[in-house]
Amino acid sequence: MVSFTRRNLGLAAGMATAVVLTAGSMIMFSADATPLAEPGQMAPAITDAVTSTGETISLDQFSGKTVVLEWTNDGCPFVKKHYAEPVVNFQTMQSDASEDDIVWLSVISSAPGKQGYVDGAGAEAINAGRGAAPAYTILDPAGDIGRAYGAKTTPHMFVIKGDGEIAYAGAIDSIRSAKVDDIAEATNYVTAALDSVAAGEPVEIASTAPYGCSVKY
Amino acid sequence: MTVAFRFVCLLPVLAMAALFAPAKAQPVDGGHARVELVSERAIAVPGETVWFGLSFEIDPNWHIYWLNAGDAGIPPAILWADSLAVSEDAIGPFQWPVPELLPIVPNEIMDYGYSDRVVLPFAVEISEDAQGPILFEGIADYLICENICIPESAPIRLLQSVGAEQVPDSYGGDLIIEALGQIPPELDGAAALTQSGETWTLSVATPQLAGRTGEARFFPNDHDIKHAADQPVSFGPEGLQLELTPARSTTAFPEMLSGVVTVGEAAVAISATPGAILPGTSDGGTLSAPAINLPVLIILAMIGGLILNLMPCVLPVLSIKAMGLVSAAASGNGREARAHGLWYTAGVVLSFAALAAAIVGVRAATGIATWGFWLQDPLVVTALILIIFLIGLWLLGMFELGSSVQNVGGSLAQKQGPAGAFFTGVLAAIVGAPCTGPFLGAAIGTIMGQPAPQVFLVLIAMGLGMALPFLALSFMPSLQRLLPKPGAWMETLKQVFAFPMFLTAAWLLSVLGALAGYRMAAMVVAGAALIAFGIWALKSAGQGGRAILIAVLGLITIIPVFELMGALSATDTHFVGVVRALAQLLVMAIAIWVVARLSTERAGLIARIGAVLALVAGLVLPVVQARSALAVEGGSEAYAAVYQTEAWSPERVSELVAEGRPIFIDFTAEWCATCQANKLQTLQTKPVTEAFEAGNVAFLVADYTRPDPLIAAELQKHNRAGVPMYLWYPPGDSEPQVLPEVLSIDLVTGLVEAG
Repeated sequence: MVSFTRRNLGLAAGMATAVVLTAGSMIMFSADATPLAEPGQMAPAITDAVTSTGETISLDQFSGKTVVLEWTNDGCPFVKKHYAEPVVNFQTMQSDASEDDIVWLSVISSAPGKQGYVDGAGAEAINAGRGAAPAYTILDPAGDIGRAYGAKTTPHMFVIKGDGEIAYAGAIDSIRSAKVDDIAEATNYVTAALDSVAAGEPVEIASTAPYGCSVKY
Repeated sequence: MTVAFRFVCLLPVLAMAALFAPAKAQPVDGGHARVELVSERAIAVPGETVWFGLSFEIDPNWHIYWLNAGDAGIPPAILWADSLAVSEDAIGPFQWPVPELLPIVPNEIMDYGYSDRVVLPFAVEISEDAQGPILFEGIADYLICENICIPESAPIRLLQSVGAEQVPDSYGGDLIIEALGQIPPELDGAAALTQSGETWTLSVATPQLAGRTGEARFFPNDHDIKHAADQPVSFGPEGLQLELTPARSTTAFPEMLSGVVTVGEAAVAISATPGAILPGTSDGGTLSAPAINLPVLIILAMIGGLILNLMPCVLPVLSIKAMGLVSAAASGNGREARAHGLWYTAGVVLSFAALAAAIVGVRAATGIATWGFWLQDPLVVTALILIIFLIGLWLLGMFELGSSVQNVGGSLAQKQGPAGAFFTGVLAAIVGAPCTGPFLGAAIGTIMGQPAPQVFLVLIAMGLGMALPFLALSFMPSLQRLLPKPGAWMETLKQVFAFPMFLTAAWLLSVLGALAGYRMAAMVVAGAALIAFGIWALKSAGQGGRAILIAVLGLITIIPVFELMGALSATDTHFVGVVRALAQLLVMAIAIWVVARLSTERAGLIARIGAVLALVAGLVLPVVQARSALAVEGGSEAYAAVYQTEAWSPERVSELVAEGRPIFIDFTAEWCATCQANKLQTLQTKPVTEAFEAGNVAFLVADYTRPDPLIAAELQKHNRAGVPMYLWYPPGDSEPQVLPEVLSIDLVTGLVEAG
């Protein structure tokens, strides 16, 4: 009798699961397929990403540390703006990050043949040339990582907290231009977000529209 | 050779042109665009506002950006030289011609901008005390992109002559006039933004766009929406609707959404504020792509289905199911309970699927489907009445089906298992479906215009929801234990439930009367009597077969008796009539004599055959009659007569609007329970009739008891799937307010007083 009841419960559970699965798949089916790389959401996984030095890294391995993602394309004037002398905005942010034990990942999602596409050696050479010091430069010629994050522009910035939650997504700063002079005037959203995360406070401006060149998928 | 020759010929012309050209700067090549500052005046007058234009001639395949560049890019700007003699306040902002869509990466990155040629006009105030030429000098800063992006700068320079007399500059003037013609005008109408689940509906009602067709697009001034997302469009008589996708799931619903709406060549600058979807901006919910929030609708439908179980017309049907379940649970036969549950679910879900198929079919055939349309067919209503009457008889214990009684054949009892459960489900669905209106009005409204798969999904979800309680019960022995023990109370409860069934039949009879006239209704009652007789006779045929046959024959004998009396009482005796009546009487007498001598078994058999024939006739004859039932007296006129008012027609409405009278329109139907409730509790009450009279309100009635394409179109115009719909036209207003489906006296009198 007991086993009979259990079987019934099992059946009921099975039915319920089937209903839930059907409903779930319907919801999934009809929902927007784009993943949500938005503040407050967990960051999409990055696994087996190939870096410019030939290593493979995953986002998981940095868990506990704050991670910055920077979409880049060395040919893009907006990227150049933030690497240009004398301000060397990105270089400064990268070295500050490394001092604060923050992992800075530059991502190149340009497709082969498009502007900004480079191989590992090329990426290393670019970094050396402009004095950039990201922890890693991820090569994403297929654009998978870029699409998973919905990266639209170079630069497009993401700050991911140690627990994997996205703390900031959007523009590097508040003045949408390609002019180096504007950097001094602008509010740097990424720096502000990193400060808030370090202080354990919520990020005040967690989401902005990125500006720059389109990612050359 | 020819080219060279032509060029040589042109040389003098070019030289002449250069000589007489107004003093203007040459375009400057910034790299991938020729940039130039132009003015509409060769000589401007002090104190006037002059249009300037920043002209771009862009290399093929390259583009510059609109005021909102979209996902990537930056709009052009002018950096005026510090030496500029004019205050920057005197220089107005760029006016932006309608941009193009620049799908940089399809479905992922969308920019807005210009290619080939664009002039960005801006207004410049020439100060009152201006003397002599004014130098406008600066740098045009613009991002220009092909596959790659280059920020370019071009020095621009214009020497604006100022004098006492206006002299136009034909070159600059032509460019600027053409550009100003491309600036979207301000909206003359209304624009509303409505949250529709996860998307936003932008509805724009304006004569500027109404009737236009072509590619439609909303270009936002800001980044509230996802630029790369499709914008499914729907056109209506007043304008259009666009489904917009918020930029992020966290994007706040904006207080105001500004931008440009384009339809083909037409464009309008709008600022939409939150509000209800504007009427007449869609063709009845048929968006060019699925834009409803399907998951939410499915969940709503399931809940609606669940609630259906409590409807007074459904509950008795369910009691049949409940009884079976109580018995099965008591007997501890879990497998039987489960089988019942599954078959029942199959019945309900299949019925709802059939309903979905009917909706899709009717829509394909007539272009319009409204909820409850099946009650517009006398055939369906007739069949429903008879079936419900039969169920009533069964509940009352007039006859038995199934395992609980043994005197019906064993084969039937076995069949009752799956088939019985299945048909209970079918029945519950049939009886329940018309009751969905009040709960699911809005949801059903959206689904009626959706593509077929959505219609099926939502209706099947509704069926699942309806079947869920029993399904759960039959699979959960722990729940079954909560059920009361079977006993004599079950029979009593069952019999009590017979009466709601008869009342349901009575209500449907009134629907039928309105649909096909009282004769048809009487016909159905006669059919019901035949059925009752057949059932009774079947039951009594075992022992009393002979008595039944004799009684029936005796009753039939009355007919020739009357004929005989009629034939005899006529002033001159009708011989043929008398002979025929006598012959008939003889036949009857022989028949009765034969029957009286029959053996009990044989009489029983004949009585049973007769009873079955009566039963079948009772069921079939009214249905056959209903097929040919004429559309009888009635329609809106008859109904309006009941109300002592007049029938609705669009023409009458425009007349009354022209007269400046307020109008209240009642879109109703005999089979619509909510309509009847509103009629009784609000529209026919003294305060309302007095208020209507005092306010000189024209009260029009549109009766949708029977199908009516005009009414259907009007319902659709206001995004309603069916009746009730109440429209209120304030005095002199040609746009009605759609009132809630459930009225109150205060609401209606309040309207009249406010109007």
